[in-house]
Amino acid sequence: MESIFEFLFKYRPLLFQEGDFTFASPWPALFILGGVALVTIPALFTYGAARGDSQRIDRIVMAAIRLGLVGVLVFILFQPTLILTSVVPQRNFVGILIDDSQSMRIADEDGVARSDFVQSTFGAEGSEMLDALSEKFTLRFFRFSRDASRLNSMNELTYSGTETDLGNAMVRAQEELAGVPISGLVVISDGADNSGEALAESLLPLQAAGVPVYTVGLGEEELSPDVQVSRVELPRTVLVGTSLVVDVIVSHRGYTGRTVQLLVEDTGVLLASEDVTFERDGEPVVSRVRIEAEDAGPRLLRFRVSPQEGERVTENNARDVLVDVVNEAEKILYFEGEPRWEVKFLRRAVSEDDNLQVVVLQRTAESKFLRLNVDDAEELAAGFPRTREELFRYRALILGSVEASFFTHDQLDMIADFVSQRGGGLLVLGGRNAFGEGSYQGTRLAEALPVFMDDELSTGVEPYSTELFITPTRTGLTHPTTQLGQDDSDAVRELWESLPPVTTLNPITRLKPGATGLLTGGPEDDRERQVVLAFHRYGRGKVIALPIQDSWTWQMHADIPLEDQTHETFWRQLLRWLADGVPDQVEAQSEREVVEPGQPVNLAVEVGDSAYAEVNNGNVVAVVLDPDGSSTTVPLDWDVEQDGHYDGGFPTSGPGLYEVAVHATRGADTIGTARTYVNVAPSDEEYFDASMRGTTLNRVADQTGGLFYTPETVSTLPEDIGLTGAGVTLTEERDLWDMPILLLLVLGLMGAEWGYRRKRGLV
Amino acid sequence: MRALWSCVGSAAVIVLLGSPPVTTNATMSTDAGPGTLSAPGERLGPAGTAVRGSESPAEALQIQTTGVPREFYFSRVAYGGYGGFRRGGRSWATDFPKADQIFLSFIDRLLPNLDAYEREFVVQLPDPEVRDYPFLYALEVGRMSLSPPEIEGLRNYLLAGGFLVIDDFWGTQEWQQFEYQIRQVLPEYEIVDLTLDHPIFTTFYEIEEILQVPNVGNGTRGGPTYERDGFIPMVRGIHDDNGRLMVIINWNTDLGDAWEWADNPYYPLKYSTYAYEMGVNFIVYAMSH
Repeated sequence: MESIFEFLFKYRPLLFQEGDFTFASPWPALFILGGVALVTIPALFTYGAARGDSQRIDRIVMAAIRLGLVGVLVFILFQPTLILTSVVPQRNFVGILIDDSQSMRIADEDGVARSDFVQSTFGAEGSEMLDALSEKFTLRFFRFSRDASRLNSMNELTYSGTETDLGNAMVRAQEELAGVPISGLVVISDGADNSGEALAESLLPLQAAGVPVYTVGLGEEELSPDVQVSRVELPRTVLVGTSLVVDVIVSHRGYTGRTVQLLVEDTGVLLASEDVTFERDGEPVVSRVRIEAEDAGPRLLRFRVSPQEGERVTENNARDVLVDVVNEAEKILYFEGEPRWEVKFLRRAVSEDDNLQVVVLQRTAESKFLRLNVDDAEELAAGFPRTREELFRYRALILGSVEASFFTHDQLDMIADFVSQRGGGLLVLGGRNAFGEGSYQGTRLAEALPVFMDDELSTGVEPYSTELFITPTRTGLTHPTTQLGQDDSDAVRELWESLPPVTTLNPITRLKPGATGLLTGGPEDDRERQVVLAFHRYGRGKVIALPIQDSWTWQMHADIPLEDQTHETFWRQLLRWLADGVPDQVEAQSEREVVEPGQPVNLAVEVGDSAYAEVNNGNVVAVVLDPDGSSTTVPLDWDVEQDGHYDGGFPTSGPGLYEVAVHATRGADTIGTARTYVNVAPSDEEYFDASMRGTTLNRVADQTGGLFYTPETVSTLPEDIGLTGAGVTLTEERDLWDMPILLLLVLGLMGAEWGYRRKRGLV
Repeated sequence: MRALWSCVGSAAVIVLLGSPPVTTNATMSTDAGPGTLSAPGERLGPAGTAVRGSESPAEALQIQTTGVPREFYFSRVAYGGYGGFRRGGRSWATDFPKADQIFLSFIDRLLPNLDAYEREFVVQLPDPEVRDYPFLYALEVGRMSLSPPEIEGLRNYLLAGGFLVIDDFWGTQEWQQFEYQIRQVLPEYEIVDLTLDHPIFTTFYEIEEILQVPNVGNGTRGGPTYERDGFIPMVRGIHDDNGRLMVIINWNTDLGDAWEWADNPYYPLKYSTYAYEMGVNFIVYAMSH
C-alpha cells in the first residue's frame, strides 16, 4: 500500500505527515488567476452557446471535465511544494540500544533467533543499515537487560541477561548522550519488559527533551505452540498444617483440546498433581491445586508442566515459588456475650490445631466474665480490651452475640480500627444480640461489616427466626474456607447441601458492594435467600460475617457420623484464613521473590508500635544469614517519604536461601522481629511472556514521536530518522508539481472527455 | 405436709423473684406419671418419642416448644429402668417437673444472659433429636437399665460432644448398677474422681468443698445426710480422649432435691446454695468446654 502511495505521490506518506504543504509559484497569484479566467470564461460561454446534436446535460458534463482539467493545470502552475525539516548529516548522534537478555535467544517461527537479526542487520560490518545510518549520524551502541551500558563491540553481546528493563535503558542512553545533539534512540528488542517498573515514567525525560525513540520489534507476537505456567497465587507465609488451595494460571497457544499434567514438587518430592485441559486457543486456564503445608520452614515449591511435543519455549514450563511455612500459634480473641454452645464447639473444633490459640472471653453474667486459654492471670482480667494496645495483641477477633450497647463508643471505633489500621481479621457471628438484632446500625462496626443489616425480612414485631439449608456460592466452591477438603466443585456443593440445616436469628440478605459471598441459605428449595458466609476487605484487614447461631449442628446432629470432620475442618480453615496475612508490628519483605546471584537484595520493612502507629525513630537492623552459614548485619534507614517504612539492602554472592531477621527497637524498647527468606537463584523470567510486545514498543515510539518497525519495515529507518529526528536540522523543499498522480489526472480527464464524446456521438 | 410447704414456698419465690417464666401445663404435676412426649410443630421437641412403660396416651405430657429456638434446654433424660418403690418403673421422673421448674427459675436470675427455655424438657436417648440438646440431666440412675438403642444413642451423643449430669443415687449397690450401665455406654473410658482443682468447680462459682446434699426429708428433719451406705459424697467424671469432661457423676448426694426445695424454709440454705452453684457451674462449663 505504501509503495503504491509512493508511486503516485512521489514520496512516502511519512513525508507528507512530517512536512508542511505550500505553493512556491514565481508568478503572482493574481496573474495566474487572471490567466485562468481568460481561458475559462470564454470556454464556458462557448459550451453554453453551442448547439448541434448536444443536449444540455452533455454540455454540463463536458464543461465540468474541462474545468477539472484547467484546475489541475492551475494547481501545477502554483508549484505545490513540501517543506521538510531534516537533520544535518554527520552533526547528530543516534543511540542504538540492543536487548541483551535471554529472550533474544528464542528462535521464532522461521527458526532464526532474534539475536541473529541483530547481528546481521546492525552487527555485520558493511551492512546496509549501518552504512545508511552512519552516513547521516554518529552512532553510539548500548546493550541492555537489567541495566544498560556502552557497547564497544558487537561481540560483547552475550544474550544472557535475566531481566529486561526498557525504561532504564532509554534513560541511561539519554544520560550518556547528554550534551550532544541527539536525533533519536533506536531500541532493538522484543519489548518483553519484566522489570515491574512503570514505563511511562521513564518516557517523561525523553518526551521533555524531545528525543524520539525508534523501536524495532523482534519476534512473533504469538509464540505457538507453547505452554507456560504464567502465575502461581501463593501467600509468602502460611501456617504449618494449612491446607492450601493454590491457583495456578497455565497459558497455552496451539494446544487446544490437550490435557497436560500440572505437578507440584518440593525439592523433587511430588506434593500434588492436577490435570489441566486447554479448551480454547490462547485462553489461560486457572488450575486449583491443593497442597498441605506439612513441614515448617522455608519451602521452595516448583509448579511445572512437562515439555510438550513441538513446544517453542520449554523454559517457561516451570515456576519456583518460595513459601515460608511458620509454626506459630495465631492468637484469636473470641468475645461472646452470653453462654452459648458455639463457644464449646468452636473450641472443640480447633482444639487439636496447635497453630490456633482461641482465647475466649465470655460474659456469663452482668460484669462477670469467663476467660479461657489466656496466657496469664492478667490477660483480659478487666473484660473486653479498653485500649488499642490490649486489643491489637490479637491477630483476629470473633464477636458473638453481644449487643452494641455493651461497648463504649471508643471500643466500637477500636474494633473497626483493629481491622482497618492494625490489619486484623474480624469474624462476626450471628445471634440474638448480633448484627441488627444487637442494634449495631449506625456504628462504625456496621460500616466495617460486609453485609447490610436493614433487611426487609425482619418484620420488627416478632423476633426473626428461620431454618437455613446451605449451599455454596460460585466463589464458595473453591474458597479455602468452604472447600472442606474436597477437590472438585461438585463434591463441595454436594457436601454443603447434605449438611443438616442451621438456624439464624439475623435476617441478612444483602452484601455490600465489593463483598464476596461464600455460603447462602434458605428453605430447602430456595437456598440462596440469605447470606450465611461473606467477607470483604476493610482497610488493611478483612471482615467476615457468619450470621448463623448454631454451626455446632454440623458436629452434633444425628445425621453427622462421629468420625465426620466437616465441622472441625470448617472452623479450622475459617480461623486460619481469618488470621492469614495479618501483619505483625514488624513486617519485612524482599522487593523481589527471586534475586539473581550477585545482585543486591532490597528489603522493605514496616514498623509499628503496639497500637500499630507508624514508628519513624526506630533502630532497625537486618541480620542476614547466607547459605554458607555466615551472617552479616545491615542497618536499615527510615524512608523519609513514608511513615514507618525502612529500607536497605545487602549484596548476595552464591545461590541459595538467605535468611533475613529484621530487629526493630526504639530506645531501650524492643518493638519486634520479623523473619523472611530470599531465594537467590538464576532466573528464567526472560522466557515467560517472551512473545514480541508490539503494543508496548508502538506506544514507546508513539509517545516520544518516533516510529515502530519490524524486521520487514526497518529498511526505511535511516531515512525516517533523518526526516523526523531531533538534533541539528535544516529545512528543505521538495517539489510536488511532478507527482505522477497529477499527470495521471490530466490524462485521465482528457481521456474522459474524449470517451464521453464518443459515447454520446459528439465526435 | 410436703404439699403445703411446696405451696407456701412457691408463693414466697414468686413474691421474691416476680412471676417465674414457667408455664406449667395443667396436665403436669409431680404426681403425674410420664407418658408419651411430643413436641408438635417445631424441630426442637423430641417429636414422636415414647417412654417405655407408658400406660396410655391419655397420660401424655404435652411439651411444646414453639417460636424462636432457645440456646439452652434443661433436658431431663427419660431412661428405661427397673423403676422403684415410688414410681412404678419411672425413676427418671423423680422430682419432675418441679425440680426442673424451680431450677430454671433460679437459673434465670443467676445466669441472666443465658437464653434458656423456661420449661421442663424431656428427651429420650434413642431419639435422634436428643443430639439437638447438648446438655442432659439424669437422676436416680441406681435403677437405670438402658436398652441397646439407649446405649447406642447415649454413646453417640457423648462422643459427638454432648454433656451428661448424673445425680441422686446412693450407696454401693446403686453405684454398681450405674457403673455397669455406663460401662456399656463408654467401656473404654475411665471413671475418675474429680478434685476441687478441676475447672468445673471454678467455672462460675468457686466451690470450696464437696457437700453431701441430703434429700428433702433428711434435710428438713435435720437427720443424717446420707442414704443407705453412701456416706461420702463424690463427684466423678468421664473424660474423652482430649480430656474434655463428658459425664459428671454426683454420687451420694441429691442436688435435685436441693433445687426443688430451695423455697422450703426448713431445708438448709447451705445445701441449696451449693446445689445451685454446682448447677450453674455445670451449665457454664458444658457450654464452654
